[in-house]
Order: sequence, then C-alpha cells, then structure tokens
Amino acid sequence: MTCQEAIALLVDHLEATLDDEQRARLERHLAGCAPCVAYLRTYRRTRDVVAAEGRAEMPEEMKARLRAFLLEEMRKSAPG
Amino acid sequence: MGDDQVVLDRLRAGDPSALETLITKYATRVYRLAFGICRNAADAEEVVQDVFLAVFRKHETFEGRAAVGSWIYRITANTALNKRRGKRRELETSLEATLEASLPTYRPDGHREGERAFLCTDWSSTPEHELLSGETRDVLRRAIDGLPAHYRAVLVLRDIEELTNEEAAAILGESVASVKSRLHRARMALREQLTRHAARMA
Repeated sequence: MTCQEAIALLVDHLEATLDDEQRARLERHLAGCAPCVAYLRTYRRTRDVVAAEGRAEMPEEMKARLRAFLLEEMRKSAPG
Repeated sequence: MGDDQVVLDRLRAGDPSALETLITKYATRVYRLAFGICRNAADAEEVVQDVFLAVFRKHETFEGRAAVGSWIYRITANTALNKRRGKRRELETSLEATLEASLPTYRPDGHREGERAFLCTDWSSTPEHELLSGETRDVLRRAIDGLPAHYRAVLVLRDIEELTNEEAAAILGESVASVKSRLHRARMALREQLTRHAARMA
C-alpha cells in the first residue's frame, strides 16, 4: 500500500468502517511509515479540534431576539 | 420524531409554548450550521430568523415522512448557502484552488512528497486549550474561513453535529460519495494549515 492509498482510507478508518482486509493492509503500511502515522494522528486531531471549535451555543441575546421576532409573527398571523 | 410532530401541531394551533420548545431544541443546531457556513454572526442570525420563519409558515407543508430535525437542517443549509452564493460566487472558485494547494502531494510511486522532518511533524498531543487559543486558534479559524462554503456545510454536519454521511447527504441533496470526498478534503486542508503552523513554531 502506498501513502496515497493509505490517506484515501482515513475517512472510513476513523469511522471504523474498513473491512478486515483493508484494515490489515493499512495497519501494515502504518507499521513501516512514520509520516503516515503522523498524518493519521494529526488528521484525527484536526477532526476533534474542529468539533471543539464549532461547538458554540447560540448566544442568549440572539435567542431572545429570535423569540421576540417569532412571537410577533405569531401574533400577526393569529386569526382576528 | 413523534414528539416533533406534536410540537408542529401545537404551532399550527397558535400555541406560543410550541415556539419555545422548537427554539430550545433546534436554535443552537440551526445557529451552528448557519454560522459554520456563513462564518459571520450577523449573517448567521439572519439565517436563523429566516429558518424559523420558514418553519413557522411552512410547517403545514411539512410531510411527516422525514424527521423534523432533517427538514430544519435542510432549510438551514439551503438558506445559508444561498446567502453565501449571492455574495461571493467568484470567490468560491478561487477558494477551491486554495484548498487544492493544501492537499498532500505524492511522488510517482505513491509515497508522499516533501521533507521527512515536515512529513513527520506531529502536533496531535498538543492540549486542546492550546490549540484553541492564541495564534493556533487564529490559524484554524482562518483555515476554516478559507474553505468553500459547501465544504464547511459538510464539516459542520459531520464533525460538529456528528451526523452520518448518509444523513448529511440527504440534508445537502448530495451523494454520499460527494459528502465523504468533501469531508476528507476539508479535514486534509485544515490539517495542513495546522501542521505548517506547528512546523513553523518548532
């Protein structure tokens, strides 16, 4: 397996959806390829850090404006 | 899904507490996806208002076949991507080219090109608080800002909201193969920027 083939498997590898043969081939490649080991580790960490960076709550004042906006819409569309 | 249908029915009956339930359950998810695509709080807020207005006005056309959550995500992705498209169509093309330049390159034998020390740069044990503060956070944010919007949509749905490839594909109206390909390219591009930064700091 080449580095190119190994890196192409990383989405499935992180999801543990590789079949046994693919996983065994990837593991054999990683056992002899330090750059791909570094690539895999930093790729996985990139996924985790992107998730942590993006996991913000919607600001409370924005929720309050949304609530007021929608209640007004509801009032406007109420029959009578 | 059943609970959501009940909430939509209450909304239909003009019950204000149904709005509160929807806001509590979905506002943050809608905001994250909108912000993830727009990368700007003011635009994201407009998208959130438009999405909830659409839910409020169009809930009668919602056919209970899909989960309410997917339906709301779909409206959000469309609204946010349309907002971006209006603003920066040409930019998206040049962003694709920039992304391309952040992908790994290979020698004819399929092994990676580049200096071994750089290829072995491993910043993966850096603590999260360090990665998410100071210069590294700025590098990450700029790298995310630099992705084409439809790559960011995939990144948010998969890596932040932790949906499956199939769910993300259904929401974005794309094939699963296209979702996986964008996810992979987006992660590789961000990884590259973080690695170049780590190598500069070493």
